[in-house]
Amino acid sequence: MMKIDLSGLEASAPIKGNTVDSRDEILGVPSFALPTTADFDGFQKAAVQMVKPAKGTTTLAFIFKDGVMVAADSRASMGGYISSQSVKKIIEINPYMLGTMAGGAADCQFWHRNLGIKCRLHELANKRRISVAGASKMLANILYSYRGMGLSVGTMIAGWDEKGPGLYYVDSEGGRLKGTRFSVGSGSPYAYGVLDSGYRFDMSVEEAAELARRSIYHATFRDGASGGVASVYHVGPNGWKKLSGDDVGELHYHYYPVEPTTVEQEMTEVAVA
Amino acid sequence: MNCPLPQAISPKSTQFLPFYTQIRTKSSIFDCFLRLNLSLMSIFEYNGSAIVAMVGKNCFAIASDRRLGVQLQTVATDFQKIYKMHDKLFIGLAGLATDAQTLYQRLVFRLKLYQLREERDMKPETFASLVSAILYEKRFGPYFCQPVIAGLGDEDKPFICTMDSIGAKELAKDFVVAGTASESLYGACESMFKPDMEAEELFETISQALLSSVDRDCLSGWGGHVYLVTPTEVTERILKGRMD
Amino acid sequence: MESVFGLVGKDFAIVAADTSAVHSILVHKTNEDKIMLLDSHKLMGASGETGDRAQFTEYIQKNVALYQFRNGIPLTTAAAANYTRGELATALRKNPYQVNIILAGYDKEIGPSIYYIDYIASCHKLDKAAFGYGSYFALAMMDRHYRRDMTIEEAIELVDKCIIEIRSRLVVAPPNFIIKIVDKDGAREYAWRQSIKDSPVPAA
Repeated sequence: MMKIDLSGLEASAPIKGNTVDSRDEILGVPSFALPTTADFDGFQKAAVQMVKPAKGTTTLAFIFKDGVMVAADSRASMGGYISSQSVKKIIEINPYMLGTMAGGAADCQFWHRNLGIKCRLHELANKRRISVAGASKMLANILYSYRGMGLSVGTMIAGWDEKGPGLYYVDSEGGRLKGTRFSVGSGSPYAYGVLDSGYRFDMSVEEAAELARRSIYHATFRDGASGGVASVYHVGPNGWKKLSGDDVGELHYHYYPVEPTTVEQEMTEVAVA
Repeated sequence: MNCPLPQAISPKSTQFLPFYTQIRTKSSIFDCFLRLNLSLMSIFEYNGSAIVAMVGKNCFAIASDRRLGVQLQTVATDFQKIYKMHDKLFIGLAGLATDAQTLYQRLVFRLKLYQLREERDMKPETFASLVSAILYEKRFGPYFCQPVIAGLGDEDKPFICTMDSIGAKELAKDFVVAGTASESLYGACESMFKPDMEAEELFETISQALLSSVDRDCLSGWGGHVYLVTPTEVTERILKGRMD
Repeated sequence: MESVFGLVGKDFAIVAADTSAVHSILVHKTNEDKIMLLDSHKLMGASGETGDRAQFTEYIQKNVALYQFRNGIPLTTAAAANYTRGELATALRKNPYQVNIILAGYDKEIGPSIYYIDYIASCHKLDKAAFGYGSYFALAMMDRHYRRDMTIEEAIELVDKCIIEIRSRLVVAPPNFIIKIVDKDGAREYAWRQSIKDSPVPAA
């Protein structure tokens, strides 16, 4: 028997206060207990500072003739300290869809996982896969319903659906943009610099992967908050595939082999003279 | 002694004028310091740096990273932070690059005067006192620098020391560190340092300590620069490092 | 927003800068030349507060000229850079100039060079340098396409790429740019890249 999908009628941000029903915990839509405080905004501000997330990032994605190329670095930093060099910033939502992570690590991970569940439920209810447009809209609506509560998400949803390749940019302000070329994170201006000048729609998969990798590399070189590993994913008609994961430390010397010259500085010469 | 007050907090400010006639005084570097101190990064972290010096058996090594950045933007990867004062005396200047350059130029000037007057090289201990004095001259508007001094003294006894930006000396027998990667450097040196290492082992140790530390710091790295000093020779080596 | 950048080629150096004079939300003019000819073989591209920029670059220019009159020889590019740094550093603790400078020059023995001097007076010799919001795009672009042995034509092509990128990606992108070159034949204006025409462009 076919059931009518009523999930659209549910509020996307059920805030239930402090009651926790054990049945709800598993079957219900996620809900979050609110802190019992008079100054919610102040508390929120302090809490955001406490879980100060991986702000520095470079992620990018673009559509070309053979699908979507998605790439990201892997560094997580807290202030100047590098807390990890092996963060998975490309999240596999389902075999046909990827999400990228910029902003709060926990926020991105949780809501992408949540989106994965919703996409699967949609698939079971409708006997067909959700479109990229639909999935990204769902995420955008959820994030919008939490607007002003301190979520920090800057993500790209890339995938392949019945209409072909799809790419959307979604952020925690509720913004959702459809496009063919995006870069998100502190290193994004650097990545754009390389990406824009090298981009053509009719690239081969190899060329596109190299462009993505190179864009990430140049961003990690100039941006202190980006680094680690440059991962490249490709989404085609048969779903996504990870193409490469190169350590940027090695990539640099691959692109620019060491020349045996020492660069002398003018200041030194003055001292010697 | 001449101790000029910084303009920003000088008593000459226009605070006694009625507020509507108050002239907007231009912000000096010290306002910049206040602003940066309150925001995420302190002015000591503006350019990024990592410096370490270690003592071995009748020798010492001093190493630094090579990055010049403006906050998170990397501007150059061949910036010099360790300066040779004479064959057996080196100083590494961590902190704000502009003050490091100014301070270095003043130190060269003072060292040359000393050399002309005394017709001999300055001892590391004396040099440390000189640096300390020059830093304290600017007690109320400091150079935003943390120096690391390393040298061979009488009978080629190694000397290392560091100090804060207003000249409080801190002598050490084993190693000293400075810069934005100093916490990581403490950890690395604490576990890797052994007393009385021979020159080559000392080079290996200081290089590994430096490279592993800057790999945990966003603001330093992009290669390393090591000076290894024994009574007979000075070896300078450029280290390949991660460029992210 | 302001963008100044430059690079060193095979036997020349190029400096490019936007030409907008902006005050809060207002654009006063779009043909303000922000690259000064310091002397016959030096260029000084500057960005920063309008008043400071004009005052400081002219102050340096006149003093470099004075040095040449007194001593009969011009300052080398390195010397001019260190002099500029010194002046900025002294001012820093009194009444700082809010100017970032790219100093390009050509010396007979040394060849072309570029010095990066920011408003807090950090000075460094570089192959490619950029200031302002355009720096984010220009730096990565130059990193990707730069070679030490570029010809003037190749370098101009790269500069144009940077300008196009800045114009297309920067929120408040300046419409017009000026490009100047210094090589063994001296410092000179090379070209304008204009998307808005102001009143007639002054002759070089």
